[in-house]
Amino acid sequence: MTKRIAIVEDEAAIRENYAAAFRREGYAVDLYEARQPAMDAFASRLPDLVVIDVNLRDEVEGGFELCRELRSRAADLAIIFLTARDSEFDAVSGLRLGADDYLTKDISIPHLMARVAALFRRMEAMQKPQGKTSRMTRGDLELDVDRMTVRWRDQSVGLTLTEFWIVHSLARYPGHVRNRQQLMDAAQAVLDDNTITSHIKRIRRKFLAIDPGFDAVETVYGMGYRWLAK
Amino acid sequence: MNLRRQLLLVSLLTLVLPWAGCQFIRETESALREGQQQMLSGTAQAIADSLAQFPDQFDVARRGKTADDPENQLYGHPLTSAPLIDGYFDDWTLSENALTPLPGANQATRFVVGVHRQAVFLYVDVHDDDVVYSMPVGTGAIEAGVDGHAGDAVELITIDEVPGDAGSVAAVVAYAFAAEAPGRLIPRRRTARETVEETRVSAHWQDTANGYRLEARVPRQLLGTRLGLVVADADTPESPATRISSFDGEVPERLVTRSPLLQSVAAGYVQPDVRLIVVDNAGWRLAQAEDLSSSGGGDPPGIASGWMRVAYNALLESGNEAELAEPDPSGREQQDYIRRALDGQPAKAWFRSIRSGRAVVAVAHPVWSGNVQTGAVVLQQGTDAILSLTNRALARLMNVTLIATLLVAAALLGYASWLSLRIRRLSSAAERALDDKRVQPDLPSARAADEIGDLSRSFSSVLRQLGEYNEYLRTLASKLSHEMRTPLTIVSSSLENLEHEPLTQESARYTARAKDGAARLHKILSAMSEASKVEELIENAAPETFDLHAALESTVAAYADAWPERSFSLVAGDSSVPLHGSPELIIQMLDKLVDNAVGFSAAGDEILIHLTSKSHEVVLSVTNPGPPLPERMRSQLFDSMVSLRANETGKHLGLGLFIARLVAIGHGGSIRAFDVDGGVTFEVHLPTGM
Repeated sequence: MTKRIAIVEDEAAIRENYAAAFRREGYAVDLYEARQPAMDAFASRLPDLVVIDVNLRDEVEGGFELCRELRSRAADLAIIFLTARDSEFDAVSGLRLGADDYLTKDISIPHLMARVAALFRRMEAMQKPQGKTSRMTRGDLELDVDRMTVRWRDQSVGLTLTEFWIVHSLARYPGHVRNRQQLMDAAQAVLDDNTITSHIKRIRRKFLAIDPGFDAVETVYGMGYRWLAK
Repeated sequence: MNLRRQLLLVSLLTLVLPWAGCQFIRETESALREGQQQMLSGTAQAIADSLAQFPDQFDVARRGKTADDPENQLYGHPLTSAPLIDGYFDDWTLSENALTPLPGANQATRFVVGVHRQAVFLYVDVHDDDVVYSMPVGTGAIEAGVDGHAGDAVELITIDEVPGDAGSVAAVVAYAFAAEAPGRLIPRRRTARETVEETRVSAHWQDTANGYRLEARVPRQLLGTRLGLVVADADTPESPATRISSFDGEVPERLVTRSPLLQSVAAGYVQPDVRLIVVDNAGWRLAQAEDLSSSGGGDPPGIASGWMRVAYNALLESGNEAELAEPDPSGREQQDYIRRALDGQPAKAWFRSIRSGRAVVAVAHPVWSGNVQTGAVVLQQGTDAILSLTNRALARLMNVTLIATLLVAAALLGYASWLSLRIRRLSSAAERALDDKRVQPDLPSARAADEIGDLSRSFSSVLRQLGEYNEYLRTLASKLSHEMRTPLTIVSSSLENLEHEPLTQESARYTARAKDGAARLHKILSAMSEASKVEELIENAAPETFDLHAALESTVAAYADAWPERSFSLVAGDSSVPLHGSPELIIQMLDKLVDNAVGFSAAGDEILIHLTSKSHEVVLSVTNPGPPLPERMRSQLFDSMVSLRANETGKHLGLGLFIARLVAIGHGGSIRAFDVDGGVTFEVHLPTGM
């Protein structure tokens, strides 16, 4: 079944470029340039994935508003923010509203395609019964590579795609230092050092929320990070 | 010269007050003097008018028509007690100055005539190299000297008067004092008819080293109104004597004596501190009364201390008056103002008393009896009343103006201190406002209504504009990167789509180049937004305590890998340096400093990273060999988008040191750069506890 992707983006050139790329990959694409037309259309039919820009015409945070409305209607709808706003605050806000990923427009189209594909893969894997998926266990850490979910001491850790890929990259070879470039490649993104730092911080915080004694992600100053196996 | 000194100098202007006060006092004093002088003139005129009713007491009336030549007159000094007739002058109540030289005598022969009650006293001091005594009475010598007497002698010449006509000459009478030996002698009364011994006259002859002295007492009734003195000097008993006379001609002139009547009248007019002198037409003193002794000598009242006297003399008494002449010892007043009065004009003069140093006003007024001027009245008065008045005023003026000057000076000093305090506060606040990189436009005195308030407000407005400008610059990079991101996304996404289209080899190459350029633009944009990212990180940082030394060791090892053509060495005093902060940010700051150090050094150079731990702070420094810091932009070294690197690729944005400073300040520390020998050091101070 052809996946249907809705792009809500006020900049026509970008909209069309992304649409062309998605169509090339075989997706069906709907384009909206503002929040209201998109909502009107979604009222009758929901797509499989919505790609939203935060800034929509006159609505500075129209994307956030749209995300909130959609999430309230469909809990399992895939939502990705694709925006020029790269501040930490905006990223946290977007993810807190229930978006599956927050991407800045620096991302290249191949990277974007890979992410979208991964997202769809995960959604499909979620619908399969558990146990048939490929797993990776590192001490207390348990990674479901297909569903892209993480469990720590049998508790689920809610990671975004990017965060999952970073943890996956670190935990695959415990004790090996992964530098920032390697983590970037693993996360299918062009990120700067500070964004990597932010991601690592967010990952630690999520694990710490479950286990206050968590210290498996170690910083190797000047080089990168590594996973410490107990 | 600071404000306080300036205002202190200005406060010296209050010294004008005492000057003005002195001018006023001086004016007052001269007005008072004028008033006193006029009052004294009025008194003199009144006395003159009252004396005019006694014309006969003045010589001119007694003289009748023939005017005496005062040069030939003798003056009978009033004596307060009768001297002993012993040939000595020291029991005379006169000063030596009263001795008058005998006109015509070639040697210093002096004499004086005194009057006490009804006796006339004579004292003659004759200079004679060769005293010749006369022969005893009865010897032939008397007969030999027909005209006179042999030997040295003194003669008093008077006249017998026609009864009822005083002054008219009936016969010339001479009393001759010729000694046969020193000691008492009896003179002889000689007239044209006879020569007899006169026992009512007592006399004493005494030899001196250069002549002889004669003292004699003659009852007044033996003498007429006229009196003359003759000194006869004989070289030998036989030769005729040389006669030296006190008068010209045959007949002596009138003897001038004090007028008891005028004296008693004058005494009635005397007031304290006033001297009254009545003179006749020739200036001979007829009466004198005074009460100058009451306040004579000593300091003027009110002048207590030495400096007051100095101030008084300097400010008030100009001191250009002539010295006050005491009454002439010869008995005849010759001073200018008295002469003018004797010429018929009221006259005045100011003097200064030698004894007390004070000013004395003197007036002389002619006495008219009918149309005939009979004499003059002279009044002299001290200025003690004025003096004490002006002294008190001066003392008060001095005290008041001194206090006023001190008060004004103190007030001005306080005011100046307050002003300069405000200005200093303002200037230091303005400096601080610039020191902090976030400009703080609030300055002290901003609400004051004066010029300092204006200054503060205009400073504030300038600082505010500067702050806005700085803020604009600070956020320019991130704004710019944000705004450029969307068009760049259009470019790069279009290029990526283009790659999927069938392209000629040529087009593919151009597309690849375009993608390359877009990628570089992306990098630049991320660098430009890095600063705001770092700020965000600092705001959200969860500080932790970590070992900076351990962190540095691994970081420096990584630098060696990143820049193989430089060598890095870490020098640390302690093996463990705990620091509370964000390790990622501090390492990022070090990255920027090392990147800067690498950029300014050459291949093969050693970059030194130094870590020192002090009690409250950690000092981290990066030193690289290379050119010194340029003078020009030294103060802007850590500002956003300021780059000193002459990079051939032109990609350096000058954000590295800006970020380094953001991190240092974000941790409550500071950063500075300075030249060292052959290189540059960047030094970061970080407090150990955040």
